[in-house]
Amino acid sequence: MNEILRLEEVSFIYSKGTPFEKVALNKVSLSFEKGKITGLIGHTGSGKSTLVNLLNGLYKPTEGRVYLDGVDIWENPKEISKVRYRVGLVMQYPEYQLFDESVREDIAFAPKNLGLTEGETAERVAEAAHFAGLSEELLEKSPFELSGGQKRRAAIAGIMAMRPEVLVLDEPAAGLDPRGRREILGGLRQYAEAVGASVILVSHSMEDMAHYCDNVIVMNRGEVYLSGEVGEIFSRSEELSRVSLDVPAISRIARELAKSGFELSGELYTVDGVYDAIIKYLGEDKR
Amino acid sequence: MISDITLGQFFPGYSTLHKLDPRTKLILSVAFIVAVFFANSPVSFLGLLIGVLVLVKLSRISFSVVFKGIKPIIIILIFTALINVFLTDGAGEPLVDFWIIEIYTEGIVRAVFMALRVIILIIGTSILLTYTTSPIALTDGIESLLSPLKKIGVPVHTFAMMMSIALRFIPTLVEETEKIMNAQKSRGADFTSGGLIKRARALIPILIPLFVSSFKRAEELATAMECRCYRGDKNRTKLVKLEYKSRDYIWFCAVALFVTAIILLATLPYSIGYSGRLLEIIFYKI
Amino acid sequence: MNEYIIKTEGLGFTYSDGESDSLVREEIPALSDINLSVKRGEYLAVLGHNGSGKSTLAKLLNLILVPTVGKIYIDGVDVTAEDFDEDGVFDVRRKVGMVFQNPDNQLVATVVEEDVAFGPENLGLPREEIRRRVNSSLSMVGMQDYMRHAPHKLSGGQKQRVAIAGIIAMRPEVIIFDESTAMLDPMGRAEVISIMERLNREEGITVINITHYMEEAARAERVVVINDGRLTLDGIPREVFSEVELLHKIGLEAPQGTELVHRLRLAGINIEGSSLTEQECAEALINYLSGNRK
Repeated sequence: MNEILRLEEVSFIYSKGTPFEKVALNKVSLSFEKGKITGLIGHTGSGKSTLVNLLNGLYKPTEGRVYLDGVDIWENPKEISKVRYRVGLVMQYPEYQLFDESVREDIAFAPKNLGLTEGETAERVAEAAHFAGLSEELLEKSPFELSGGQKRRAAIAGIMAMRPEVLVLDEPAAGLDPRGRREILGGLRQYAEAVGASVILVSHSMEDMAHYCDNVIVMNRGEVYLSGEVGEIFSRSEELSRVSLDVPAISRIARELAKSGFELSGELYTVDGVYDAIIKYLGEDKR
Repeated sequence: MISDITLGQFFPGYSTLHKLDPRTKLILSVAFIVAVFFANSPVSFLGLLIGVLVLVKLSRISFSVVFKGIKPIIIILIFTALINVFLTDGAGEPLVDFWIIEIYTEGIVRAVFMALRVIILIIGTSILLTYTTSPIALTDGIESLLSPLKKIGVPVHTFAMMMSIALRFIPTLVEETEKIMNAQKSRGADFTSGGLIKRARALIPILIPLFVSSFKRAEELATAMECRCYRGDKNRTKLVKLEYKSRDYIWFCAVALFVTAIILLATLPYSIGYSGRLLEIIFYKI
Repeated sequence: MNEYIIKTEGLGFTYSDGESDSLVREEIPALSDINLSVKRGEYLAVLGHNGSGKSTLAKLLNLILVPTVGKIYIDGVDVTAEDFDEDGVFDVRRKVGMVFQNPDNQLVATVVEEDVAFGPENLGLPREEIRRRVNSSLSMVGMQDYMRHAPHKLSGGQKQRVAIAGIIAMRPEVIIFDESTAMLDPMGRAEVISIMERLNREEGITVINITHYMEEAARAERVVVINDGRLTLDGIPREVFSEVELLHKIGLEAPQGTELVHRLRLAGINIEGSSLTEQECAEALINYLSGNRK
């Protein structure tokens, strides 16, 4: 397997040595494939947000190692900021990080910190704005004039402008309506393919996972509970329900059909997949 | 992490101190502060120290939490203590006389006393007030103690409400600051290197989002309060009615005795000379 | 008693110049010609995308915003009348409670019970009554064990439950939930929804849930869809969600099963029956497939 990020026996303990000590991650070993979109799902307190902060070196593991492209990111702690450019992290509600006079200036913040020339910076800003679906006109506005969804996309562009090899997003679509979700999540595949990057998507929505991810990792109580390809994970609905997670509604409908003897085949976790499967089933039936 | 700072936080509980009337605690704090400023001899400081330890014990708040509370001011403490040590002139022979540095016994005494004074002051008032009194109770107490001022047109209720909301949002804002810092760090912001101007400039990406979100919070909170029928203290009643109980009177007496004892110990004529001599003896022995 | 607890006639809101462009105030979408009647005890969902104007409606009903045109009647009283005074506003706010989106920004106090007491205190109730209401409201939302806790240490769902308790304690007749689940995780959302429904069913409180989640709207007795400041659809969920095309056009979705059946129908596959719930959808498909197999 061609991996970009690997965690080896990583543990993380908050406020270690105080009465508030709390184990957030317990000996987690994981790897993320190059060029793939991996979904990270789990309930609040499952450790997924901690994991995200460990991936780009905001937190240092209490135990264990994080490897980026085969190199331990904490080998040289002084160089940790370089890791942050390579593993771009979009935090929850990232619109709160906007500060500059114009959207363009704000997106340019990271490339400038990277020490890129003005020409390169402009190029990065244009590219990131494109992936995030921000029009030229919006770039000149003050970030505080944008709508909620636009602000969110501007903040994501601010991270994409570093052109990170791994783009990590912590619930990028939280609180947005269906159109807003599509606008943000749809651009991720485009980014991954154009830059050759991997994407790690933290989400609560099984429907989004099914629609946008290649692989899924399910976290539970600071440990990896399940991990594998999307189709495989969603075929294990009983194991998922044991940790109070559910497959997408459409998968449950497909399962009801199977129970009544209508065995469909295909990607039975998206509306498109089930639609295709029914069309195929009817076609075969007629023949 | 910033959120580990415990100074100014409230720790809900059911200890004797938690149960005291906030007005009692406010008055006692003032008395305590007076005692701290009178203290100037080893014996009086020892008395204060014991008093503070008793308070901590009674509050049932763990010592580690209390010490965490003074952590942020330790650097300032050490700094001022050093200034005291180096800059205080003494009457007798300097203990250390090296190059331009002269250290006198009086300097050390003053530095130690000053540090003790600040530490005792902070722990004592935090234990009495913020740690064991919910901000609402605290502001209720202040409002009630200051209510005579209402007669001359001072908006006491408004100030009290402002204060309690400020206290309520401290932890939220601390959390938020940390989040924004992490977000900007993820974009390569550097808060730790460079000269003063560069560092100050590095704060802009934190301060602006913090201001913007604080204003948004303020507006949303104001709306939420209006929706809950808030209209100042017009016809307003209280869940907790402040009432002095026998517990409060006992504390008044106890603290009055304690403060008098400290002041007596401090003002007895021999105390200053005594403490100086004590240190001299210790140093000569060494 | 009036049959309609809330009734609007030709209600509209637009900005007067210069009011909209503050640094922090988010643009408030305009509304026009809203005619909406809400019956006492109803469970209504207001569905719309971000910026559709659905939150503006909530703010108008609570008199946080003043309508530019039209009338609002709360419990039969014209609250847009010229002689409607401050005491009237106070009365409306007691009757119509609001729970907002961000749980952090609606909790005033540093201890749960003191926060719940805030509303009743403003109402000027006697102390014993406040105490009773605080206790009963907290147990209604299942937070009685957190009475002395600090709100900032609670989870998002728990904070939101405290906020709801703070509203219940004012004994309102209507509670408007203005995107109150949008910032919560699935567990928190489920908790809030179940409280909402229990309040409606058991306490007879009129519930208006403003949301962009169609799964939530589908659970209500009646759904109103707002788009570009206008009331676009109004009916029972079954009717509203059968308008799949229209929902798509205004940036919303129907439940996955409904979407599937709709697409199959477009492909000429004539599936009969409703497909609002998963159960109905599976049955409709099974019926069709069985008929087809013969």
